[in-house]
Amino acid sequence: MAIVAQSSKYGRVSRATLAWVVGLLFFFPIFWMVLTSFKTDADAVKPEYLLFFQPTLENYLNMTENYDYWRFARNSVITAVFATIFALAVGIPCAYAMAFNPSRATKDVLMWMLSTKMLPAAAVLYPMTFLTKSMGLFDTHFLIIVVLMLINLPIVIWMLFTYFKEIPKEIIEAGQMDGVNTWGEIREILIPLAWGGIASTALLCFIFCWNEAYWTVRLTTTEAATLSKLIEGNRAPEGLFFGRLSAVSTAAVGPIVVLGWFCQKQLVQGLTFGAVK
Amino acid sequence: MSDRRLPRLLQSPAVILLLIWMLIPLGMTLYFSFIRYVLNSLRRPEWTKPALSNWRGFGNYEFVLENKDFLLAIQNSLFIVCSILFLTVILGVLIAVLINKAFPGRGIVRVLLISPFFVMPAVNAVLWINMILDPVLGLQGLAVAGINDLISSLQNAPVVGWFFSLWPQFEPISFRATQTSAIAVIMMVTWQWTPFAVLIFMTSLQSEDQQQKEAAILDGAGAWSQFRFLTLPHLARPIAIVVMIQAIFHLSLYAEIEIVSRGNGNKNLPYLIGEFANNNIGAASATGIFAVILANIVAIFLLRMIGKTLME
Repeated sequence: MAIVAQSSKYGRVSRATLAWVVGLLFFFPIFWMVLTSFKTDADAVKPEYLLFFQPTLENYLNMTENYDYWRFARNSVITAVFATIFALAVGIPCAYAMAFNPSRATKDVLMWMLSTKMLPAAAVLYPMTFLTKSMGLFDTHFLIIVVLMLINLPIVIWMLFTYFKEIPKEIIEAGQMDGVNTWGEIREILIPLAWGGIASTALLCFIFCWNEAYWTVRLTTTEAATLSKLIEGNRAPEGLFFGRLSAVSTAAVGPIVVLGWFCQKQLVQGLTFGAVK
Repeated sequence: MSDRRLPRLLQSPAVILLLIWMLIPLGMTLYFSFIRYVLNSLRRPEWTKPALSNWRGFGNYEFVLENKDFLLAIQNSLFIVCSILFLTVILGVLIAVLINKAFPGRGIVRVLLISPFFVMPAVNAVLWINMILDPVLGLQGLAVAGINDLISSLQNAPVVGWFFSLWPQFEPISFRATQTSAIAVIMMVTWQWTPFAVLIFMTSLQSEDQQQKEAAILDGAGAWSQFRFLTLPHLARPIAIVVMIQAIFHLSLYAEIEIVSRGNGNKNLPYLIGEFANNNIGAASATGIFAVILANIVAIFLLRMIGKTLME
């Protein structure tokens, strides 16, 4: 490593400085949103209060009154949590079978699943609206849960498959010798062994569900509307409500950004389907 | 217990669900694209119900192809997607190389950098178009006003005043306008997706052959030729993957376009489909089929690349 360390001190310092500047620049819009959320709506657009102002929690305290935030947040939590649970419930057995009993068709099935993910959502917009309205499912939690589960199922199965493949087949087979049935194998051998992988898959699935902004906007009106719909509905406040809009935006993305910090590694695997290691 | 039946049984719920999800809506889109089908029509009420007797053949496709919005939407889709790809890949490679070596606080910089990726698209768009890009009240407006104030106060200064009186007053740019709204979308999506590119390139750089690099240094290779002949070829595959995954995501951009300008000046295919779907379902469906074809062209390449690494 002596050779790599050859670069001059000046070079190293300027490199580190530049890296910090880039990092701070990319974070700046988020910082700005959080900062604005502590200004009153009036202060938020005054240049003299750009950086120094009297911080207030008013925007956060009035979130329910201004935007009915908690109703949308509740919908986001319910739909994302149940979609994730169902995706895992369907995905774990499927990935288990693919990883430990692969057939010649397994590869093709996996590729086909991935291809469903690449279908542009807009292409089936009207049929989805038509079907869900005629079945009375439009704007229900059930519908959003099912749709979120389906659009994330391919990624969930892929991620689980790559994790399960790492587990030695012998361990699972040892269970079979002991006369444990399939359900027991999954519950008592597979899930404890692959716990970390399953947890990060769930986390990533949850994040994708939370941030989804096509179906959650187009297939809801009020009942099942999520935070994406709430923000989208307040797109142009004409500068009057920068403070309160920042607060509700911060509340909408804050938890997810923090969750995201914990699954950076899994993100690479999940989004590139294991093609970059 | 048969060896073959059980795995199939375990896979079947997922396969059946995805099959239904894919085939039924897409089949309906295909069907609607060949019939006359509108939601409201006083003169031809029979067109408001989907029926085979309203068969139109390729009429909807012809209608869409002759619609000038369609060409604009294709152009715009490609302009937005290609610009974002170009910017994210260049920025992604530069930043990944920059933070690949250890420096104080590298972990924190990584966290700062990756954060934009987790911001929900609706918040991203609302934040940029209002708080940052608004020509009067956003940071852009405030910055331009500040610069103009500074210039006009310098015009009254002794000695150098004549020099500053030659300067113009700057005009802030409105990013909701027809000509600029696509630029705003490109900016906000680039901000959101550059972290994704950085993360993938960094993961890949960590598996770069260090010995080869040291050998190159011993041979007197400079930083540029190391980058050009070792790092860049190593990144070729991740770059291809980043390009294709992003192409698929960005071809279906919707929330950002809706929020920035309601499609004014920067309609893309999904947006156009949404507009047609307000009344002309036949045209919306035909446009949808075009969008599927476009996405498939990209997807075939991506699936080939992923397929190669599968099962190794």
